[in-house]
Amino acid sequence: MDGFTYNNIFETKGIEYVAIVVFFAILIPFWIVLNRQVKATKQLQKKLGILTAKALRIPQGIFFNKDHTWAHMDKAGLARVGMDDFILHLIGNVTVKRMKKPGDAIQKGDFLAEIEHEGISLKIYSPISGEIIDNNQQLIENPELLNDDPYMKGWMYKIKPSRWIAETSSFYLAEEASNWSAKEIERFKDFLAASVERYTEDPSLLVLQDGGELIDHPLSELPPEVWQDFQHSFLGNKSKYPHFRGLGKQEYGPEYF
Amino acid sequence: MFKDNDGNSIMKFLKRELKPKAKLLTPFNLISIPIILLGLGLIVIRFWKGLGAITNLTQEVPWGLWIGFDVVTGVAFAGGAYVVTFMVYILNMKEYRPIVRVTVLNGFLAYAFYTGALLLDLGRPWNVVNPIIGNNFGTSSVLFLVAWHFLLYMLAELIEFSPAIAEWLGAKRATKILSGMTIGAVIFGITLSSLHQSGLGALYLMAKDKIHPLWYSEFIPVLFLVSSVFAGLSMVIFEGSISHKVFYDQMSEKNIKSQDGIIHGLAKICSVAMFAYFFLQFLVFLHDRNWEYLNTPMGYWFLVEMIGFVFTPMLLFFYSYRLNNIFLIRLAAVLTMIGVILNRLNVTVIGFRWDAATHYIPSWMEIVVTLAVIFTEIWIFRWVVRRMPVLRESPVWAKHDHD
Repeated sequence: MDGFTYNNIFETKGIEYVAIVVFFAILIPFWIVLNRQVKATKQLQKKLGILTAKALRIPQGIFFNKDHTWAHMDKAGLARVGMDDFILHLIGNVTVKRMKKPGDAIQKGDFLAEIEHEGISLKIYSPISGEIIDNNQQLIENPELLNDDPYMKGWMYKIKPSRWIAETSSFYLAEEASNWSAKEIERFKDFLAASVERYTEDPSLLVLQDGGELIDHPLSELPPEVWQDFQHSFLGNKSKYPHFRGLGKQEYGPEYF
Repeated sequence: MFKDNDGNSIMKFLKRELKPKAKLLTPFNLISIPIILLGLGLIVIRFWKGLGAITNLTQEVPWGLWIGFDVVTGVAFAGGAYVVTFMVYILNMKEYRPIVRVTVLNGFLAYAFYTGALLLDLGRPWNVVNPIIGNNFGTSSVLFLVAWHFLLYMLAELIEFSPAIAEWLGAKRATKILSGMTIGAVIFGITLSSLHQSGLGALYLMAKDKIHPLWYSEFIPVLFLVSSVFAGLSMVIFEGSISHKVFYDQMSEKNIKSQDGIIHGLAKICSVAMFAYFFLQFLVFLHDRNWEYLNTPMGYWFLVEMIGFVFTPMLLFFYSYRLNNIFLIRLAAVLTMIGVILNRLNVTVIGFRWDAATHYIPSWMEIVVTLAVIFTEIWIFRWVVRRMPVLRESPVWAKHDHD
C-alpha cells in the first residue's frame, strides 16, 4: 500500500468526528459557566461594607420564617427561636428589652421580644406556637451575643412546639432560604426607595437605583416613620395572620377560568 | 359501606363532587364550549360520511394535522411525565416532588386523548384492537409497538396517579397498596417512554422519499427522543405557570413557594438537553451533507426552526438560568414549545410531500376537531385538579415518611 493516500474528510466521516470533538470542546466551558457561582465578588463586597445577599449569613440547617425569625429543633424536641441576620445588617447593633417569661404559652404571631437601636424599637413576633421553656436572659445584659451570633449564642427562647410540622411547612430552609434572603434584599431596596420618598425631603437619600448597592446599616440613618413601615412590611404584626388562606395579588384569578 | 375523608357515604360524596366548583360562564368556558360542541358534531359527521367529508387528506397525503399535531406533537409534550418521574424517583431529586402528580396527570390525559384523536384518523378504527388481541398482530409494523406502548404506558401512568384518586375517595388501604406500586409503574413507564417517543419518529423512517431531506434521516427516532425531554419540561414550565395563576386557591403553600426554584432547575436541564439536541441535528446535517438544500425556501424554513426556535431558546434558557429570571425562563419555554411543534409538523406535515402538486393544508374542520380534543382534555384536567389532591397536599392520613 506504499504511496497510496486517500484524503476526503467527508467520505471517511472525518468531518463528523471533528464535529463531535468540537461539541465536547464547547460542552466543557458551557457546563462550567452554567454552574459557576460568583465567589470572588462576595468577599470584596463584604470588605467594602456593602450589604448584599451573599454577605448575609444563612446557616443551611435552620428554618427561616418570612418575618425574619428562625427556628431550630434540637434532639430533645425543643425548638430554639431567634431573629435573623437580615435585621442586624439593616439596623446595626441592638439591645434587647422586654422578653417573655418561661412558662408562658405562645401562639404563632404573638409578641416575642422588643429590640432597640438608639431609642427606636422594633417588635419581634413568634414563628411557632408552643410553651416557652427557657429564655436567654443573658441577651439583656450582653446584647453583643445577639449582634455577633444571632443563630447560636444569640438564641432568644427555647420553646416546646405544639404544631411544629404544620407551622414550619411554610418556612424556608437551606438553598430556599438563601434564595429568599436575596429576594428580601431586593424587596428592601424597593421598600427603602418608596419609604424615603414619602417621609423625607432630602432627595440625596434616594440614591438607590437598579444595581445600586446598600451600605451596611441603612435603616440607622432614617426617621422613625420608616422604621414603622419596616416593622409592618418585614417583621410582621399580629393582625397579619388571618385564619384563611388568602389569594394574594393575582391579576387573573380562578374566576376568569 | 364506603366512607369518604369526612365520614360521609361515598355516594353522597360523589354526587357532591359532580357539581361544578366554580362559575360556569368564564371567558375560557365561553370560548371552549361552542368549539367542543362543534367538534363533537364534526366527529359524528366524520364517522358517518368518512374522512374525506371533513378533512383535506388524500391518497397522496393520508396523514395530516390529526396525526402530525395531536398524536406526534402531543406525545412529545407529554414526555414531561417520564422525565420528571425519572428525576424524582430514580435520581431522588426531591425538590421536584411537588410537580410529579400534576405532570403525571397531564401525561395520562395527553396519551388518553391523543389515542382517541388517533382513532379519528384511522380508516377502519374498529381494527385498532387487532395489535392487542391478535387478529393479525402486525408485528412487522412500527404501529404494533406504538399500540402496545400506548396501552401499557396509559396503564402505568394510571397506576402512578391512582394514589391521588384513592386519597380523594378516602380509601386508606387502597392508597397504601397503590403507593407501593408507584416505583414499579415509574420504572415501567420510563422504559416504555424511551421506546415509544422514538417509535413515533420511527413511523416516518419508511417515508424516505416523501419527506424533505432536511428533515428525513435515519436518526429521526433519536432526535425525537432527545427533543421529547425538553419538550416535556417546557410544557411543565408553561402549564405550571398557568396553573399557578388559575389554580392558586388549590395550591398548598409549600407548592407555591417551591415553584420558582423548580422552574429555575428545569431551565438548566432544558438548556443542556437542547445543547445536545442542537449538536445532534448538526451532526445529522453533516452526515447527510444537507448543505446544498440550505439555499432554498425549505432550507430557510429549516434555518428558522433550528436557529430561531432551538438555538435561540437554548441560549435564553442558559442566560435566564444564570440570572434566575423567571420571566425569561417562561419565554424560553414558549419558544421551545413552538420549536418542537415546528419540528414535528415539519417532519409529518410540512416537509411531508412538500413537492406534491397540491399541498396539503388542514381544513378548518380538522382544526376545530383538534381544538375540541385539546379543550376537552383541559376541562377534564380542571375537573380533576379542583377535586383531587394534585396541587394541594394529601390528606393527613396519607402523608408518607419521605414527604
